[in-house]
Amino acid sequence: MPKKGELEGARRQLRTELRGLFARERAQLLPALHHLQHSYGYLPDWAMEVVSWHLGVPASEVYGAATSYSELRTRQPGSRVVRVCTGLSCRVSGADTVLDAVTGRLGIRPGETADITVETTPCGFLCAAAPAIEVDGTWLGRATPERALREIGTHRGEGGG
Amino acid sequence: MSAQAGIERLRDGAVRRLAHDAGRFRVTVRLGHCSAAVGAGEVLRVFEEDLTDNCRLVQAGCDGACHAGPQVVITGPDGGSVLLSRVDPDTAIRIATILEGGQMPLRFSGDDPPSAEGQVRLVLDGCGDMDAEGIDEYLVSGGYGGLANALSRSPEEVTGTVRESGLRGRGGAYFPAAAKWEAARRAAEGPRHLVVNCEEGEPGLYKDRHLMEGVPHRIIEGALIAAYGAGAESICIYINAEADLSAARMERAISDAGDMDLIGPDVLGSGWSAQVEVRRGAGGYVCGEETTLLNTMEGRRREPRLRPPFPTEAGLSGRPTVINNAETLCNLPFILGRGPEAFSALGAEGAAGTKVLSLSGAVRRPGLIEVPFGTPLSDVIGGGGGGVRAGSAVTAVGVGGPSSGLIPPGALNIRVMPGSLHESGIILGAGGIVVLDESVPVAEAMRALAAYNADESCGKCTPCREGTPRMVEVIDRMAERGATRADAEELAYLAEVVGSASLCGLGQAAGGPVMSTLHFFGPELGLPGWRDGSLL
Repeated sequence: MPKKGELEGARRQLRTELRGLFARERAQLLPALHHLQHSYGYLPDWAMEVVSWHLGVPASEVYGAATSYSELRTRQPGSRVVRVCTGLSCRVSGADTVLDAVTGRLGIRPGETADITVETTPCGFLCAAAPAIEVDGTWLGRATPERALREIGTHRGEGGG
Repeated sequence: MSAQAGIERLRDGAVRRLAHDAGRFRVTVRLGHCSAAVGAGEVLRVFEEDLTDNCRLVQAGCDGACHAGPQVVITGPDGGSVLLSRVDPDTAIRIATILEGGQMPLRFSGDDPPSAEGQVRLVLDGCGDMDAEGIDEYLVSGGYGGLANALSRSPEEVTGTVRESGLRGRGGAYFPAAAKWEAARRAAEGPRHLVVNCEEGEPGLYKDRHLMEGVPHRIIEGALIAAYGAGAESICIYINAEADLSAARMERAISDAGDMDLIGPDVLGSGWSAQVEVRRGAGGYVCGEETTLLNTMEGRRREPRLRPPFPTEAGLSGRPTVINNAETLCNLPFILGRGPEAFSALGAEGAAGTKVLSLSGAVRRPGLIEVPFGTPLSDVIGGGGGGVRAGSAVTAVGVGGPSSGLIPPGALNIRVMPGSLHESGIILGAGGIVVLDESVPVAEAMRALAAYNADESCGKCTPCREGTPRMVEVIDRMAERGATRADAEELAYLAEVVGSASLCGLGQAAGGPVMSTLHFFGPELGLPGWRDGSLL
């Protein structure tokens, strides 16, 4: 959350952006929310409020829509995000060991953040290249525990899982 | 100018442009979201830097043999070609060096070759070979010829042809495509919409992504034919939030088609106008449901609408709207190009054409497999799928995703058919097939599917919102202290209530995983005697 003076500036800047990008109609709500997520990594409350002003959609309804879509985040994630697919195809191909390696190394459970946010996802649609993980927005197929740890940069060589 | 003359002029231009590349090696990188995740992008970058002027670099989609990716196809000036699988950047450098010397590389991959055994590739025709970033190769292969034929007839004639072909929707409901168009045309005068459903949010499915990435122009041509038949002039292609490569290829194809007047105020000089735009979703299984998809496009919560009115009467912005799945539309160029008889000759009685299946799990060659309707599942897994992978023993096969359920290995003589495959709740759905082995016990697989339905329930209908988590609770109780007959009866009761009192297909089919598992896997669940199906 920006400080008070910064918040004013951020709101003003976002207003200008929205004016340039989106017509003032409700159908632009999802595109506008995508824009917020690209810009900030999630949907800050103050930014959803600006979207509400711009589109003329009540803030409660903006929030209602935002929280109903699984790809939209209303809470700020860690500085990095790792998602491990736990769909059946991935689990049959070793996703559990990948997930255990990642959570074990970071000492957190799925859904928690230790600078890095670790989440599970029901499908990354890479079923034919299972198991799949996503690190900072890039998907990797045929993942192994070693590869996953290397990608998240916490692989410390010998010792540990 | 007639549409036929228009398409011939475009094709001549494409032939002329492609002729510039005769005499060069063609290096095709099969870059799809699947192969991009295993290094195809890096391979492409090596070629971009290292290939010399005697080569033409082409980006195609994945042909469906995802297990072999990244794949590269080298075609020599003499037309001979070599397919290389599991190519890494080092190999790409070697290939570039060999090509620079004017030689063809030999096959040097250890992976077994992709197999098209038993496949009939109508929807996937050219996918993986055709340039996915240009329009010329699609035009030269006969592309947009079906559209030209359609525009030479009346919308009613086009709809009649499609009705005659027997084409049904491939999104999972298998509703006759022509009937939707007719309903929209009957509904009202004035603007009508066609929405192309590429949401594909179902776990285990990845076919629409392949079509968008590999043959984007086939989707656009199909959409134009459908819009013409349905009397719509605005086409909206609704693409899953995460499918960025798909969206990029579709945007590029729309732009190229617009440049050639295949989209715009005067399509192929016929006087008919059509606009096409891309919209992105925001995630969630229920978003693929027609009326939920409309809510998403209008900036509303992801939840279904009451029907009636059906979308064909009052859909997007209250206007008549036809919603067709991408795969459905990909059949139209063939039907309009070759005639309805050629299409209905494929497949089985009452099930014309082919189905693209997304095969994954414990098989040797996971990927897309397109087969005629009527093909037994065992042929899909044993044929194109290459059989069960070494060291695995099949315990169950998930068919049709979380709205369907699990079948035992002994029931794989079930044939790929539209709609219901077994009375216990097994449906083909959109064609996701996941082969399971002992690494994920059947009870856990059932729980995973049931838990998915509970998570994805949008909450609009109380029976679904409350009933789906309740099913998971009962399953957990069974795992904790052993299953009883009372547990099974409670599950059956919940499945029935949720199924009969929910608005949308997600809720209606949410009991499928539980009911099919109870039916087929009683002993595995600790419920001996249930295999007889007495629950049904």
